[in-house]
Amino acid sequence: MKVIIVDKTKCTGCHQCELWCGTEIASVSKELYQAIHEEPHPVPRVYVEGKDFALQCRHCEEAPCIEACPNGTMRRDPETGLVYVNEPTCIACWMCVMVCPFGIINPSASMKVAIKCDRCRNMGHPICAEVCPTQALRLEERKDYRKKAFQ
Amino acid sequence: MEFIQKKTADITVERFLTKAAESELSLVWDRYEGQLPECGFCETGLSCRDCLQGPCISHPFRDSNKWGVCGKDKDILAAQSLLRLVLKGTMVYLDQLNDFAKGVESGEVRPKNKEKTDQILKEIQSLAHHGGKQIKKELPKSLIRRWEETGISPEGFARDLFKASQKLEGGVGDVEETLLWSFKSSLLGGMAHWLQGNLKRSVFGDPVPTKVEVNLGVLKKGVPNLLLYGSFSLILKYKIAEEAKKKGVYVTGVCTDPLIPPFSFPQVTNYGSQEIPILTGAVDLIVAGNQFVNPSLTKIAKEWEVPVISAEGLKREKDPSHFARQILEKAKKSFDFRRNLLREIPEVKEVAMMGFSRETVDAKKVLAALNQGQLKGIVILSGSNNVKYTQDQEMVSMAQEFLKNDILCISKGETSVALAKYGHLNPALKENYCNKELSNVLSSLGKEIPSILDLGDGNIVDFLFGIANAGKKELKDYPIVAVFPEAHRSSEVTEAMWTVAMGIPTYFWPSLPVTGSQKTMEALTKFCFEKFGSKLNVVTEKKIDARVKASLVLKALKGEEGFGMSGKPWK
Repeated sequence: MKVIIVDKTKCTGCHQCELWCGTEIASVSKELYQAIHEEPHPVPRVYVEGKDFALQCRHCEEAPCIEACPNGTMRRDPETGLVYVNEPTCIACWMCVMVCPFGIINPSASMKVAIKCDRCRNMGHPICAEVCPTQALRLEERKDYRKKAFQ
Repeated sequence: MEFIQKKTADITVERFLTKAAESELSLVWDRYEGQLPECGFCETGLSCRDCLQGPCISHPFRDSNKWGVCGKDKDILAAQSLLRLVLKGTMVYLDQLNDFAKGVESGEVRPKNKEKTDQILKEIQSLAHHGGKQIKKELPKSLIRRWEETGISPEGFARDLFKASQKLEGGVGDVEETLLWSFKSSLLGGMAHWLQGNLKRSVFGDPVPTKVEVNLGVLKKGVPNLLLYGSFSLILKYKIAEEAKKKGVYVTGVCTDPLIPPFSFPQVTNYGSQEIPILTGAVDLIVAGNQFVNPSLTKIAKEWEVPVISAEGLKREKDPSHFARQILEKAKKSFDFRRNLLREIPEVKEVAMMGFSRETVDAKKVLAALNQGQLKGIVILSGSNNVKYTQDQEMVSMAQEFLKNDILCISKGETSVALAKYGHLNPALKENYCNKELSNVLSSLGKEIPSILDLGDGNIVDFLFGIANAGKKELKDYPIVAVFPEAHRSSEVTEAMWTVAMGIPTYFWPSLPVTGSQKTMEALTKFCFEKFGSKLNVVTEKKIDARVKASLVLKALKGEEGFGMSGKPWK
C-alpha cells in the first residue's frame, strides 16, 4: 500500500499543499481564482501542523475512525487499503473526528459530513505530493518506508 | 495546474527549440515548467514579505490565518501587492528618464533644438518637487481637475513615491486609499515616460516613419554582430551606433529602441525569445541594460563564447564616447575569435514601418472617421511577452480580430516588434489583415501606412490627447480601450494604471495579483469607473481563447461590457 511520506526536514510550511488540496479536491470550480471566493469555503483535506509539519490521513491499519463509525460510513477500499468517507450515509455524529489521533478529520458544519483525506484515491497521484515545491511530501510503499525507518 | 503546450507562434524561433533541446540547454519555457506550480498565495496577492515578522499569507481556506501578523487582511494584502508592482514600475520610467537626462546634460550629443531641450531638462528637475507643473498645463483641464478631486494629482516624486512606499510599511489606509496611491505613483511614471519622449524628440529631432527590419534574418554573416539588449542610456546607444558606422560593425537590438534618429536598429527578436539569437552563433557581443534582460542570458552566452557587457555596472566607464569605443573594440576582437564558429542564420525577416507620431498621423482625420462610423474604435496594444502564454499568439490573434472589425490598432515598443514579425507593420501587407473600411481610413492618413500604427516614445499619449482636444470631449467618452494581452513587467502594470487614470478602460492579462480579494477587484472596476470613468479589467478566467478575449474588448468598445469574465458583478 502506498502512503504519503513526510520529510520534516524539507517542509518549509508554505501551505501550498493546503491551497491546492482546497482547490483541486474541495472546491466546485477547481480553479484557484474562483475557489478562493466560493461559499461555503472549500475545506482542504490536509494541513500544515505548527510551523513545518504537513499532515494527511495515515490510513491506519487499525483505523479508530472505522471502529468508531456507527453505520459503516467510514470504509476501507479493499483494493488499495485507503480509508474514505462514504458521504451519502454520513450522519454527522463526529465520532470519527473525536477518535482520530491525528485530528485529520474535519467536521463540515455546512455540508453535514465528515471531511477527510482519501489520498486522492480517484486520481492518479495525490495533489499535495504533486505540488510540494521541496518534495517534502512523497508517495512511497509503506513497506519501504518501514525498512528505511528501521535501518 | 498548467504546462506549456505550444511555446511560440514564431516558426523561426521554434526551429531553434529543437537545437536547444538537443544540447540540453534550458530555455525560459523549461525554467517556467520547473517552477510549476507557482505559489498560489503570491499569484493571488495574498502574501506579504514586507517585514521580518513574516512572511505572512492570508489563507483562503482556513480561519486561523486570515490576517498577517500585523493585521493586514486579504483586501489590504491584494491592494498592496498591486501598489508594490506599481511602485517598482514607476521607478523604471524615472530611472530611464534620469539616465537620458544625465546623458544630455553631459553635452555628449548636440541637441537639435537647444532651447526646447533646456526647457524639458528644467521640467525634469522640477518633477522631484513640483510634479510636472508644465505637463499639467498641456493636459486637458477636466482630467487634471478629476485627479485633484481624487487626490492623485502628482505633487512630485520626492513626496509621492516615498509616501506611497510607506503605505506598505503600515498605517490605516483602506483598499481605496491604497489604490489611489498606486494611481498617484503611476501618473508620475506616465509623466516621466512622456517627458522622455519629448526630450528624445528635441535632442534627436522629430520622429520620421522609418523602415526597420525585424526577426532573426536581420543578423549578418560576414561582419561583427553587436546586439543591444534592453533599455539603457540612449546617449550610449547613439554613441555606439555612431562608432559602429565608422568601424563597420553591425548593430542590432533586442527589446531596445528601434529608432534613435538618424540611426535605426533592426530588431532581432522580442522579449520571449531573447535567448534564441545567441543560438544562431552569429552574435559576437552583447551590451545589456536591466529592463527586459533575463539574467539567463549570461549563461547561454557563455556556452556560445559570447561576451556580455553590462551597460549599467557599478564600475562602468562613465564617458559614453570612450565606453562606446571600448565596446566596439571588444566586438571586433570577439568577431575575430569566433570567426570559425558555425553561423546559422535563418532567412526570415519582415519589414516594419515604425516611428509614427502626432505629426504624421492626423488626429483630426481619425476623429472624423470615428464620428462617421468608418472606424468602430481605437485599441491600444501594449505589453511584451509572458511565458504563461504561447509567445506572440494572444497579441497577434487579438490584433487580427480587431483589424477585421474596423478597429484602429496602435502599439508601441515591444508590442510593435512582436506584431511586426507577422507582417502587421508592413505597409505592403495592409490589405491582407484590414477590413475594407479600416483600410480606406489608413490609406487616407498617408502613403505607406501599415495595418497597425507604431506610436512609440510617448506619442500614444500625444495622439490620444490630440483626438480628445480636436473632438472637445474627454478621453473616456471615446471608444478607446487599452489591451495588455501578454504583459509581464511591473512597468507595464504602471502603464495600465495611468491609462485607466486617463479615462481609458484597460484589459490586463495575465491576472494581476489582486484576485484573492473581491473587494480590491471590485475597487478596480466599480470604484475606478466612478472616479475616472474607466475600469481596469482583470479577467480571472484562465482557459479562454484569444478570440474570446478580443470579443470582450469589442464589447467594451461598444459600451456593453460587464464586470469580469462571468458577466455578473462581483458580490
